[in-house]
Amino acid sequence: MSMLLLLLMTINSCSVQPEPIQYGHDECSYCKMTIVDKAHSAQLVTKKGKQYKYDAVECLVWNINEFPEIAENSILLVADYQNPGNMLSAGQASYIISTGIKSPMGANLSAVEDEQKVDSLLQYFKGNKYKWEQLLEVLSE
Amino acid sequence: MIRIILILTFLIAMNSLQAKVIEVCSSCSVKTIKEGIRQAADYDVVLVKKGTYREYNIEVRKRLIIRSQGRAVIDALTKGHVFQVFSDRVTIEGFHFKNVAHSYTKEYAAVLLFKSNHFKVLNNSFEKIFFGILVEKSKNGYIKGNTIRGIARDEAGSGNGIHLWHCENILVENNKISGMRDGIYLEFVEKSRILKNTSENNIRYGLHFMFSNDDEYHYNTFNNNGAGVAVMFSKRINMTKNLFYNNWGPSSYGVLLKEIYDARIEENIFRENTTGIYLEGSTRVDYKSNDFIKNGWAVKVVGSSYTNIFKNNNFLHNSFDVSYNSKINDNKFEGNYWSSYTGYDLNRDGIGDVPFRPVKLFSYVVNKTPETIVLLRSLFVDIINFSERVSPVFTPDDLSDEQPLMKPVK
Repeated sequence: MSMLLLLLMTINSCSVQPEPIQYGHDECSYCKMTIVDKAHSAQLVTKKGKQYKYDAVECLVWNINEFPEIAENSILLVADYQNPGNMLSAGQASYIISTGIKSPMGANLSAVEDEQKVDSLLQYFKGNKYKWEQLLEVLSE
Repeated sequence: MIRIILILTFLIAMNSLQAKVIEVCSSCSVKTIKEGIRQAADYDVVLVKKGTYREYNIEVRKRLIIRSQGRAVIDALTKGHVFQVFSDRVTIEGFHFKNVAHSYTKEYAAVLLFKSNHFKVLNNSFEKIFFGILVEKSKNGYIKGNTIRGIARDEAGSGNGIHLWHCENILVENNKISGMRDGIYLEFVEKSRILKNTSENNIRYGLHFMFSNDDEYHYNTFNNNGAGVAVMFSKRINMTKNLFYNNWGPSSYGVLLKEIYDARIEENIFRENTTGIYLEGSTRVDYKSNDFIKNGWAVKVVGSSYTNIFKNNNFLHNSFDVSYNSKINDNKFEGNYWSSYTGYDLNRDGIGDVPFRPVKLFSYVVNKTPETIVLLRSLFVDIINFSERVSPVFTPDDLSDEQPLMKPVK
């Protein structure tokens, strides 16, 4: 009986919640680099609760382009460039690709809360703005 | 001979006549470095005397030698960079830098060089900085004899010791870097050399290459870095005579190779690392005369790594010599010394008469289920390893060293 209880508890604890990224410790699921950049990290949690963590938003995008099935019904999060450490929903965030803002894997891609925030960044940096769906196409080339 | 000496003295005298020396100190007429630089013309020397200077964002837009006498301290009061160099032929020598500003989004550095060719950064020391030396879009530089000490041990908001970005032909020599994010980071750097540096106790990598081709690094020591050394997405890299040791941890490597083509890895020592060399997607790499000593995994091969050659290496007392995660093998092992080789040499030519199979079945089990590592020294594991060696089912059957050496390579 107690074994059963223990089993139930373990099953229960497997909730589909994003685990916080341990910066300086966790390894990128795609490129194997240790994740250190709080302004560019990303993560994905599958519907079964499997945790993927990325050192850069481009790694998340490349991983999805390579294995589209992992993104089905998954939670996708990207770091807020203007509020490092804070995660945004990938679908709702807006993106900027600018050579003025370097990102860990060389795509010069950063995520911010909304379109206005990208526009204000574009006043300082040359670049382009993207929505999530466009991003998947742009980075597949 | 006398004539030559005369000409030389004359030239030196001429030289000192041309270049003005501007002295900066608290009792001099010029009291700040910024003022010294303002008064200087191209090719002058700004000589900064001993003392503490509270200055930040010192812009250099002239060809100057900025030298400190008696190790002047420049305190940036955590308000910005110390030096920002935007011109060619600048030398910065002999300073002690401290208190550079921190930021998650802006890369503040003690010495920032931007589009600066023929620069020299010599014999400086750094403490409480964010980035140490940050070089962007520059060519033909020399970074030598600097000591960079970070304090951040677990905080990810730290910068890199020496960071080169879009550079060419840079020589990084004899620097000591510790406690930074990456000790030395090369991103889009071509034809550069990293020699005789010591990079230790950094949070992430001792040395980190990304998208950098035709570089070489020799005689460096990488000790106790969070994840060792990473060489990624690069072509034609030569690494010889480096020492990689004491990189322990679940995602820690002596060298992590990912997407590397046509590299040479020779005469290095990999000692006491969780994984000596991890290679993924790395093709046409020559491993020659390296020593793998007391590592958890000496060589771990993961996915699509083709035509790599392992020759004349010593594999001494590693828990696993070689581990594979696929059944296909296109890599060659020949003439290595394996301390776990139990074969014999009847004709006494120094080469074992039976081939050695470096991949143990148990390494597959551990790859799939890491927790099984507790069984490592058990009888059961010895039995399955033995049976697999006799008739390979799971391991690539052509993965063997046909000419295992009986004695270690010197």
